[in-house]
Amino acid sequence: MHLAISLNIAATNGQDVLGFGQISAFVRKAEAAGVDMVVISDSSANDEPSTSPFEATTLVAGLATVTDRIGLVASASTLAHQPYNLARRFASLDIISHGRTGWNATTAQNPREAANFSRTEGFSDDDFSRRAREFINIVRLLWVGWEHDALLFDKASGRFHDPDRMHPANFTGEFFSVRGPLNIARSPQDRPLLVMSGLAETELDFASHRADVVLLDKREASAARAVRDEIKRKAHEAGRDPMTVEVLITADARQERDGGSLEGLCLSSGCDGIVLTVQPCPDALEDLAERMLPELKQLGFGQLGFGKAQPGKTLRDRLESGRDSRR
Amino acid sequence: MSARQMKLGLFLWATGHHIAAWRHPDAHVTAGIDIDHYIQLARTAEAAKFDMVFCEDAAGLREANVNIASQTSRSIGFEPISLLSALAARTERIGLVSTASTSYNEPYGLARAFASLDNLSGGRAGWNLVTSASPIEAANFGATGLRPHADRYARAREFATVVTGLWNRRGGGHDGESFSVRDPLDVPPSPQGAPVMVQAGASDVGKDLAARTADVVFSAAQTFEEAKAFYDDLKGRLAAYGRQPDDVKIMPGVAPVVAATKAEAQAKYDALQELIPDDVGVALLSSYLSISDLGRYPIDGPLPELPESEGMKSRQALVIEQARRDGLSIRELARYFAGARGHWRVVGTAEEIADELQARFEGGGADGFNVMPSWFPGELDAFATLVVPELQRRGLFRKDYEGRTLREHLGLKRPV
Repeated sequence: MHLAISLNIAATNGQDVLGFGQISAFVRKAEAAGVDMVVISDSSANDEPSTSPFEATTLVAGLATVTDRIGLVASASTLAHQPYNLARRFASLDIISHGRTGWNATTAQNPREAANFSRTEGFSDDDFSRRAREFINIVRLLWVGWEHDALLFDKASGRFHDPDRMHPANFTGEFFSVRGPLNIARSPQDRPLLVMSGLAETELDFASHRADVVLLDKREASAARAVRDEIKRKAHEAGRDPMTVEVLITADARQERDGGSLEGLCLSSGCDGIVLTVQPCPDALEDLAERMLPELKQLGFGQLGFGKAQPGKTLRDRLESGRDSRR
Repeated sequence: MSARQMKLGLFLWATGHHIAAWRHPDAHVTAGIDIDHYIQLARTAEAAKFDMVFCEDAAGLREANVNIASQTSRSIGFEPISLLSALAARTERIGLVSTASTSYNEPYGLARAFASLDNLSGGRAGWNLVTSASPIEAANFGATGLRPHADRYARAREFATVVTGLWNRRGGGHDGESFSVRDPLDVPPSPQGAPVMVQAGASDVGKDLAARTADVVFSAAQTFEEAKAFYDDLKGRLAAYGRQPDDVKIMPGVAPVVAATKAEAQAKYDALQELIPDDVGVALLSSYLSISDLGRYPIDGPLPELPESEGMKSRQALVIEQARRDGLSIRELARYFAGARGHWRVVGTAEEIADELQARFEGGGADGFNVMPSWFPGELDAFATLVVPELQRRGLFRKDYEGRTLREHLGLKRPV
């Protein structure tokens, strides 16, 4: 059973904000407890401005240098970035973290972002989601523009890389035109994990084709099972091994009394694991780290299923070996 | 502290500033995929009390010719905002400055990312504004091609106004030509108030934008006269925007090659020059001189008679004249350019380099320097262990940080 922690650092006026030291101390405790990944997001769900001092991708870069096994996933919206820039940011994060990063692609349109990113009119829901899909496809394409062995580093011959093993994207679509390639090498995971969350019914097709991890927002086991089954079925229909899309059910750390209830939720939903949301305040983090995580570890949560996290292995490698041991 | 001291930046650039740096036997050839290498460079610069590290950036490949590009190390590297955020967690005092483009970002997103870096580092971030003149970058952001110079600068002016407004808590409610931003920034200010604003534009509009908005200006000047002319020009523009000469620090690039003796330094430089592949050198020279293809001419022969080209600047014309006078071959001229990248190169002992820096600093040509080591880590180590102590001995450079933020290092006012 996978264990992810979702930490939304956004705080609204009047709330205390978490400093880097508090966040990194918590993430290191989560790492020690075998938590597979932390998903950092930074925007409040309602239209209120956050007072957190950090943006998710920059925070993840900082966390990458003070941890060494845990997966670090940052949320980033397709409205607030250009695909070329975002592909670079995450490829770079993947190299910085030695293959432990992921992109939580939020597919819901945030009116606050539209208003602040020169998109006063916003997009229709349909346009927004076609645009988001195109965006994600471009990013995925850019991530594999350089082949694994493209870098030669041959000082004697004077050939740094093999130009035949570097491929432009040459993408022209409905919303974007991107030539590529990235000016970043192939990253350790080939592609940082693609995590998708907040999915509308209409996004399930795309997610089952593309996502490595889906975070369900359903909190009822039976409702979650229905969506989980649909995602796995669609993945199978798309010619994918359904196990390669990991579906996690959401639970709220505030409402769970003990690990047993989480284990029950995970098993009865048929999901591959749990994503536990925690409030961005020191007490909540401490309670989770000191009380709940050790118990979850005992129950077999985290440490990427049964494959123990090892240095030198990427997050994606470890997900794969976790699957192998479940087969 | 009464005497004026110089500011020093470490200009990070792939495996080093020399075009053939990566081929040096001791150069760290995997720099572009090794975060520990960058952590080490930043710590070396911090131990030497540098004001900042600076990452140059482009949102695309640097060189369109794939054959030429594949003989340099500049096609791959880190994305600088993530790189500097990582360095923020592993350093304590040194400033962290990165280039980012006003053509391919939105001001709200850029303001937010740099504000976050500023908070992560406890007030050590800076933004080098560029408008991005490369058509290679443009093709990664749409099919319409590069915007004309004037349009890019109009957009950059509006962009800079919006970003500084957001950082200084006056943001939001902007509905302009290129951007609309409804809300104030949702990231609070860092201990230095707002990230430091850096610019490097050398055109007239570029210098005006710098005079209006920049805290630090990077420049390229081969000679003292050029440096002084640029310095006086830029400082002279400040009054029009209600600013004092000391409000902006001008830091030209310097590419030092230092060793225990002048002969040793010269030998180090010559060895690097030997590593420049001929086609790379000639291609760079062709593009510098705005000549379509010098490769057709014998490489050991003189520069051919060239028609006056449209894009040619007076300095380039002077270079051609000089090359003819000195009887330089195409290869010799190509190596000269490929090695120096248009910046000021000083080859010599620590005393000689300190003399040169001191003369420009005290002569009114610079407030400090952006140091461009030929290759990493060796030439940074050499500068840090040989030149920095010499500058300190002369009282020209700090022996320890006076403050904690980049604004404090640079002696800049907090934004109002």
